[in-house]
Amino acid sequence: MNTQAYIESGILDEYVLGVVSPQEKQEVERLSKIYPEIKAELSRVEASLESYAMEHQRTPPARLKADIFAQMNFDEPVAESQDLEEQVEDETAQGGAQIPFGQTVSVVRPLWSRIAVAASILLAIFGGWAALQLSETRQKNEQLAIEMSNLQETAKYSETLASMYRDPNFKVIRMPGLEKSAESSVVALWNQQTNEVLLDVQSLPAAPTGKQYQLWSIVEGAPVDMGMLDQDFAGKVLRMKATNPNSVAFAITLEKEGGSPTPTMEEMYVLGKV
Amino acid sequence: MATQKPNYSEEDLVESLKQNDRAAFEYLYDRYSGALFSVICKVLRDDEKAEDVMQDAFLKIWKSIKSYDPAKGRLFTWMLNIARNSAIDAVRSEGRKPGMDDISENLDRTEINASYQPSTSTLDLKALVDTLRPERKVLVDMVYFQGYTQEEVSKKLDIPLGTVKSRIRTALQDLKLYYNI
Repeated sequence: MNTQAYIESGILDEYVLGVVSPQEKQEVERLSKIYPEIKAELSRVEASLESYAMEHQRTPPARLKADIFAQMNFDEPVAESQDLEEQVEDETAQGGAQIPFGQTVSVVRPLWSRIAVAASILLAIFGGWAALQLSETRQKNEQLAIEMSNLQETAKYSETLASMYRDPNFKVIRMPGLEKSAESSVVALWNQQTNEVLLDVQSLPAAPTGKQYQLWSIVEGAPVDMGMLDQDFAGKVLRMKATNPNSVAFAITLEKEGGSPTPTMEEMYVLGKV
Repeated sequence: MATQKPNYSEEDLVESLKQNDRAAFEYLYDRYSGALFSVICKVLRDDEKAEDVMQDAFLKIWKSIKSYDPAKGRLFTWMLNIARNSAIDAVRSEGRKPGMDDISENLDRTEINASYQPSTSTLDLKALVDTLRPERKVLVDMVYFQGYTQEEVSKKLDIPLGTVKSRIRTALQDLKLYYNI
């Protein structure tokens, strides 16, 4: 390591001034343990700032020293005083065991202990109530989050649709329901520039198990496969295969899952002419 | 005065302090309380409160001396941090920001304190003040004594951060030369 460059970076100054980040602090402490020259420079900076601080003294009032030292205890180290406490406790425990049988021990319950018990019961009740409130709030929060994400999806869907309906490049082909399913209604959006076709399923019965809707376009009198409709078609815009520019009509039939090479005419649900 | 008492080396002093030796703590107080009190006063700017904080800080030093690790730096740096942080905490608990109210007043005070109670001869102090150019001295004092970050100094004095950093560096170089350290 280039210790000279490290020293010249000024990080040691900043360390002593106390303006380094915790990571830099650790780094300086680690490196000064490894490299004596870094440690030496660190000591120099510290010593010079220390001397500087010593030039800027302001003597506190004389009585302050006595006040402070009156609060300090030099007789016994802290560790020993803890031992002492334990000893006292041991003695108390032994004393309790020495009470002879038969002697009535009157149990004294001071007021504070009763208040403490009452307080802890109240606290427990409050704790339970708070926990209940919290879980209810959480549930509500989750519900709200779900509603929110649903709303967002709906908004996104509407936005996409609106922008396509407005876009003059998109040709809108309405496919009303045929006899089989008069209430069905699907709109194909055909981008005249790219020939991309998107479907907006406004109403279509759910496909029975094992079956799937398939989109067709009619080109020069023959049906051309335009791809399968996603089973979960409600409330979204479906991207289909690009169409032949000469398409004259679009139709949707119900086919076996995965689709058929040719449409089953009896199972045609909607049809729309360009 | 500290000079009249036995002179500890820093190692011996730390050793005795860790033994909870009263004479060592008295020596520590006599030697360093002036410098620490000065820093506390600069942060607090309230002499009465400064005495309370000085008391808290010294008791903190006494209680936590066992956690002081000489490998990480000199004793004074460690104590200065305790004193400065105690003072900054005290200011914050009052709801005001340390030394943020009026910077020009701040600068004036820094100047006043600079000539306060020379511990060595007046001649030395004058030389020191001459050595550190005022615009650098102010920066060192704000960061080292009052606990500003360099960014705060830069903002408050409207000096670019780079300039703040380089001026502080130069000031520290000057100090090292001045003290022949």
